[in-house]
Amino acid sequence: MRGCSISKEESSLVEGKSDTILEGKGICKGFPGVWEHLILDHIDIDVRAGEIHTLLGENGAGKTVIANCLSGFYMLSEGQIYVKGKPVTLKSPRDGIRHGIGMVHQELALVKPFTVAENIALGLPTSDLTFPLPEVEDRVRELSEKYKLYIDPLARVEDLSAGEQQRAEIIKVLYHDPEILILDEPTSLISADAEHLFEALNSMAEMGYGILFITHKIKEALEIGNRVTVLRLGKSMGTRETAKTDKTELVKLMFGEHTPAHLERKPVGSKRVVLEVRNLEALAADEEPALQGVSFSIREGEILGFAGVSGNGQSELAEVITGLRRATKGEVIIHGKDYTNHNPRDIIRAGVSHVPEKRREVGVIEPMTVAENVVLKDIRVSPFSKGSFVNISRVTAHAKEIVSRFGALVSDLWKSQTRILSGGNIQRLILGRETWRMPKCIVAVYPTQGLDAKAIDHTWELFMRLREAGSSILIVSEDLDEIMALSDRIAVMSNGRIVGMFEGSKANREEIGLMIATGASGSEHSQ
Amino acid sequence: MGFSGNLDELKKTIIAGVIGFAVGALIMMVYGYDPISAYRALFNGAFGDLYGFSESLANATPLILTALTFAIGFRGGMFNIGAEGQLYLGACAGVTVSLFHLPFATGFALGLILAALAGAIWSLPVAILKATRGVHEVISTIMLNWISLFLAFYLVAEILVDPLRAEKTISIAEGARFPVMVPGTSLSYAIFISLGAAIIVYILLWRTVIGFDIRAMGYNPLATTYAGIERWKVILFVFITGGLTAGLAGAVHVMGRPPTYAIYSGMPSIRGLGFEGLAVAMIGRNHPIGIIISAIFFGGLMAGGRMMQLFAQVPLEMVRVVEGAVVLFLAIPELIRLFSFLRTMGTLHIFRSKRS
Ligand SMILES: Nc1ncnc2c1ncn2[C@@H]1O[C@H](COP(=O)(O)OP(=O)(O)OP(=O)(O)O)[C@@H](O)[C@H]1O
Ligand SMILES: [Mg+2]
Repeated sequence: MRGCSISKEESSLVEGKSDTILEGKGICKGFPGVWEHLILDHIDIDVRAGEIHTLLGENGAGKTVIANCLSGFYMLSEGQIYVKGKPVTLKSPRDGIRHGIGMVHQELALVKPFTVAENIALGLPTSDLTFPLPEVEDRVRELSEKYKLYIDPLARVEDLSAGEQQRAEIIKVLYHDPEILILDEPTSLISADAEHLFEALNSMAEMGYGILFITHKIKEALEIGNRVTVLRLGKSMGTRETAKTDKTELVKLMFGEHTPAHLERKPVGSKRVVLEVRNLEALAADEEPALQGVSFSIREGEILGFAGVSGNGQSELAEVITGLRRATKGEVIIHGKDYTNHNPRDIIRAGVSHVPEKRREVGVIEPMTVAENVVLKDIRVSPFSKGSFVNISRVTAHAKEIVSRFGALVSDLWKSQTRILSGGNIQRLILGRETWRMPKCIVAVYPTQGLDAKAIDHTWELFMRLREAGSSILIVSEDLDEIMALSDRIAVMSNGRIVGMFEGSKANREEIGLMIATGASGSEHSQ
Repeated sequence: MGFSGNLDELKKTIIAGVIGFAVGALIMMVYGYDPISAYRALFNGAFGDLYGFSESLANATPLILTALTFAIGFRGGMFNIGAEGQLYLGACAGVTVSLFHLPFATGFALGLILAALAGAIWSLPVAILKATRGVHEVISTIMLNWISLFLAFYLVAEILVDPLRAEKTISIAEGARFPVMVPGTSLSYAIFISLGAAIIVYILLWRTVIGFDIRAMGYNPLATTYAGIERWKVILFVFITGGLTAGLAGAVHVMGRPPTYAIYSGMPSIRGLGFEGLAVAMIGRNHPIGIIISAIFFGGLMAGGRMMQLFAQVPLEMVRVVEGAVVLFLAIPELIRLFSFLRTMGTLHIFRSKRS
């Protein structure tokens, strides 16, 4: 990355001055009901003007919690925050903004039917009817020019890609003129579009902003930023100069030790087709065609990976197969039986698991307990219920098993709402629930979103084991590495069509990348 | 299962209760009454002696049941205000049985069963319309409430009427009445029907699969569909169970409330019990145990209100003010959120239309 090398040189200049603008000393955070351990245990962290400080840690390390503490969303249990050397108490996000601290959250939270400018206006403290919308629009244009975060203020959020929505979120925060910008895992939703963001962040650092960049990806921690602090289970494992550390050291700090996944692949033996899709068509939420003439089949023990920028019909495809969206034309055939437009229940019964794209909105019921969410689909069957009564002890045992097998950090199975789990831990819970039965067919959309390196390796190994056991797996991912590592065949989607289909072994990264970028098929074309 | 946050809810409820009473006191002072003696009379009337407490419990008896109707719906994300209409028909069904001279136990059991069924049947159209056509339950229950009101008027005046006294229906046959629990008061053993129903609803919601489905749907319909839970089944179950308890509410009121054991024309003692149940459920935070407590609280307000009128000369309507204030303050956090949301939405739309 060109942008990065520049900023690193520059940063050494800035470091000479080393004016710390945000500092947290001895930050502790516990939650009522979670007394076993502190979620944050005496953390020291500081952000200097003109630097990008990376905060690295695995799922559930406490990254989001510390970001929320530093920006006023949470009150500290103990410790002190200093802004430009002065002690401050942040009682609300508004306090944070007043002290120049802006936070971009891990999950996108824009109102879909509104435009970018309207979304920003919603966050302004106006109470009368004089809504300064044209003003907001001008300001957004200005900001997006200045920081190279290009976005049309009049575009509706629902028409934007995840990357653009992210930019809108950042602009929404920049609107308040912060001096410190905290970004919580900004790249987990836009892995394909990350370089763009990095460039923008680097130029912002050059302008003198202090940036706290949160990630669980070591690669990013090494690519961007001047210093990196590693967090492990609520404790700080130390801060390093990015230029003076390397992957091995960071891995060690993050996980203790970690051996990368070893993926072994035997050729697909069976010829039996499990999932077949013929000429599928469907509409998106805005009534525009989302799928057009999509056909493919997946055999027993085969993984078909769908590559492509999100928003090209992949989500809709997964929804149609699993019964959550109506097909307007075509067929979905599972084990030779027609399941087109059947309800999700029938499709679950036919043995299809689904790891949905929207984990918090669809994958779990946030206000319900962890145990209840683990058996969300299985509660109807023995041994989890007998007659119509829930067998609580069996549910508990099963939930405990899933949670520990998938390493989800959960404080209490029956007491804590699933809402409080970290993003990665929710993903683990869903993966556990959807795969423990060794299902015949799995539709997994962004299966590793929000997972740290170790959990990604585990998930990949898991998919390979399932494949070995004969599952047919459909994976949608924006991460080409993931697609290449897992897939037996790779399909590229663009504008609701499959524009290319490759044998995994023969697939050429550049060719696929080009096809994704242009949306046009190259030499090899199966449609 | 599902205990988390109950303590928090309790705290909120108590605060709302205190504020409600404070507002009531303020209004009393504005109108020149003495709130302290009023509240003393209120409390003594409601819980001060066995008589008062028995009256409070007797008042609570049907309220628990109509509140359960609302609560089951609310847990499933539905706003079932059909208890009012179902209650009328339950009461009529309870009386109908006494048209025939049935042996003791049969009459009693049949009365309860028919009443429950009447309530359930009356809620069936609501469920079916919602599940198949997407008709909102608020609309359909309001319509059915009116139909039920006039149907009940007709039944009371024409079919069930006492040939000797035209202002009331025939009385429930001796054998089909709930025995009085505390002699000289209105409290009968019918209260155990209500308590039993509350416990059953509790078990239903937190120990059974359908209860799981109901709660899941109340929290997140999308994820519920994803999990393979069938919406129509939940809807049907919610309204039928709600209908059963509402119908029972009518039955316990006529079969278990001395001294009348009959419905008077215009149904003065029955009308409103359904809507009152809604408030009871809200204050009880839609939890069966909370509902028992809040129903006794409401029953106490009714019983004590009369004493307040008698001894402190404060009009009975003051009790309504306190009730209203408590409900309002409980709902305030949600109301504030709703208003600010509507305001921003409104302004944006005004602005949009101005520009385009
Ligand atoms: N409100 C809360 N009450 C109790 N525990 C909480 C609460 N919020 C977070 N936690 C717990 O704190 C821990 C850290 O969560 P946090 O969201 O900060 O993780 P994270 O580092 O951001 O992980 P991820 O990469 O998965 O997003 C988790 O175990 C989570 O369950
Ligand atoms: Mg997080």
